[in-house]
Amino acid sequence: MYNRKIRGPLIEGNKTLGQITEEIINPLDVRPGLWWTIAFGIASAAALFGGYAIYITVNKGIGTWGVNNSVAWGWEIVNFVWWIGIGHAGTAFSIFLLILRQRWRTSINRAAEAMTVFAVISAALFPALHMGRIWLAFYIFPYPNTRGPLWVNFNSPLFWDFTAITAYLLISVSFWYLGMLPDLATIRDKTASRLRKTLYGFFSLGWTGSSRHWIRYESLSFILGGIAAVLVVSVHSIVATDFAVGIEPGWHTTIFPPFFVVGAIFSGFAMVMTLMVLIRRIYKLTDYITDNHMDAIARILVFISLIMGTAYLTEIFIAWYSGNQYEMFTFFRNRITGDYTIQFWGMIVCNALIPQLFWFRKMRRNWKWLLFVSLSINVGMWLERYNIVVTSLSKDFLPSNWVSYTPTIIDIGVFAGTLGLFGVGVLLFMRYIPMLAISELKGVVHIGNKTED
Amino acid sequence: MTRTFKIGVFDDEGKFLTSIKLLKEKEFLIYDVFTPYPIHEVFHLMKRKSRLPTAAYFFGLFGIIATLAFLYYTSVIDWPVVYGGKPFNSFPSFIVVTIIVTILTVTIASLVLFSARSKLFPGRENTIFDPRATNDKFVIVVDNDNQDISNARRAEIVMKEQGAIEVLDKEFESVKA
Repeated sequence: MYNRKIRGPLIEGNKTLGQITEEIINPLDVRPGLWWTIAFGIASAAALFGGYAIYITVNKGIGTWGVNNSVAWGWEIVNFVWWIGIGHAGTAFSIFLLILRQRWRTSINRAAEAMTVFAVISAALFPALHMGRIWLAFYIFPYPNTRGPLWVNFNSPLFWDFTAITAYLLISVSFWYLGMLPDLATIRDKTASRLRKTLYGFFSLGWTGSSRHWIRYESLSFILGGIAAVLVVSVHSIVATDFAVGIEPGWHTTIFPPFFVVGAIFSGFAMVMTLMVLIRRIYKLTDYITDNHMDAIARILVFISLIMGTAYLTEIFIAWYSGNQYEMFTFFRNRITGDYTIQFWGMIVCNALIPQLFWFRKMRRNWKWLLFVSLSINVGMWLERYNIVVTSLSKDFLPSNWVSYTPTIIDIGVFAGTLGLFGVGVLLFMRYIPMLAISELKGVVHIGNKTED
Repeated sequence: MTRTFKIGVFDDEGKFLTSIKLLKEKEFLIYDVFTPYPIHEVFHLMKRKSRLPTAAYFFGLFGIIATLAFLYYTSVIDWPVVYGGKPFNSFPSFIVVTIIVTILTVTIASLVLFSARSKLFPGRENTIFDPRATNDKFVIVVDNDNQDISNARRAEIVMKEQGAIEVLDKEFESVKA
């Protein structure tokens, strides 16, 4: 039950249906401000830098990266896990909240899903490049071949990972696009421009809003939502098993799958918050994405932050409790103290301590704090993956294998490139696709308004 | 073939729903109704049902069986390889791939079925009875040709009484919906 007295209206300003259409389509009609052009320029430049780094990587090989025999997984896997994590929240947001029938998701799900799609594309780039010979990447597909046929190893988490990410990408895109159909049709029917009418008409697939369309649409969204909810949990657990099946100290733990899933949702929600804070301010959508919405995300973040803190403590406790000298070494000599203290304590501060600010109502309702905390969570989550990947590999069982790890300019370039790709994607999304799900907003506009009771 | 329809446009969800109810009670032929967002009462009144969930269940069943069969064939029959001392048919580690491929199968097959049944695909141009239906109006389309003309007239009166902001007859060359 939605309690208006406690929560206030879901959408503020007593909007009429026409007003909703008008206000959300408006950013598509007006020329974007200078900030858009500048941001687009920066993002494209970063993407070009990434293109160059990828060219060098493919042309010369992954020897151009900072990885070596001991630290065989460097920034690329760190970034891969980080992006996949970010890519989780989008769908976690729309799918979990859809199934739990949390109607406040309607203002946020479109942008969150868009973010998911671009983040997963960025993520998928890294394992593909890491294979070394990217032109043979299709070997990972289990297809009948002339080499036997020799099949891939279906028992390997690395293969599961490939399956999971491919499926996740396809399903997120489908879900996102399906949700967009009614809105594309709205633009088609409203716009005066011939070109737009044709383009949006083509992509809206002939949607008319007929009751026959809506019933199937509703039922399909629930089917996709219901089954993709499994995926939100399974994809990052599989990424976690990539590590957990390795016998490296610090990796070989059963806590990894839930720990990774929670971390993924944490970083994803943080990225959603970063984007929403900016979108609602720039496009003045505060009536739709209200302070209550931001408050709700902040509450979820502080809760997940506590889980993360507990997980970090559990890992350390188990390292000590296991009595295993290698585990002890990794956690106490190579993370808490040692070469990687900045990354470790940075992670603790950013993920477990700073989000505690959200216990205060004032912080949850101040956009500067929201932006600060969400960005620090993003940094913290990157550091967490760095900790896991690099510290465990750099000093394992044999001291003769010990090396330190520093990324090269090419590593940095590929990462910058994916940030650029993500930026370009999000900016284009803001420009050409309605940022909020118009049809869904129309369905919830009455909730919590005075007319209701 | 030219067909004529009586199109009633409403700007209020409540009035629109009562009109459908009355029209249905009097057994006038409603061709279809158009709304800017899904309204469950409409599905109920128009007796719209979707069998997509049933279909999705069978897609899922097919996905599970096909994936497990494929994994069994490749790992046990076609080219058995021992990985880490596990048996050829290492069922527990096949489950992950099975779940994911099943989900993917259900998604893609349901989407295709949705597209085929709703006749929604790239470039498709379904008849738009009133373009405001995707914006802020609720539209009832009454079939004029397949029922007695007096019925259609009475339908007009019902819709006007219920507060339709506009009721008019429109001719369409061919109807795609």
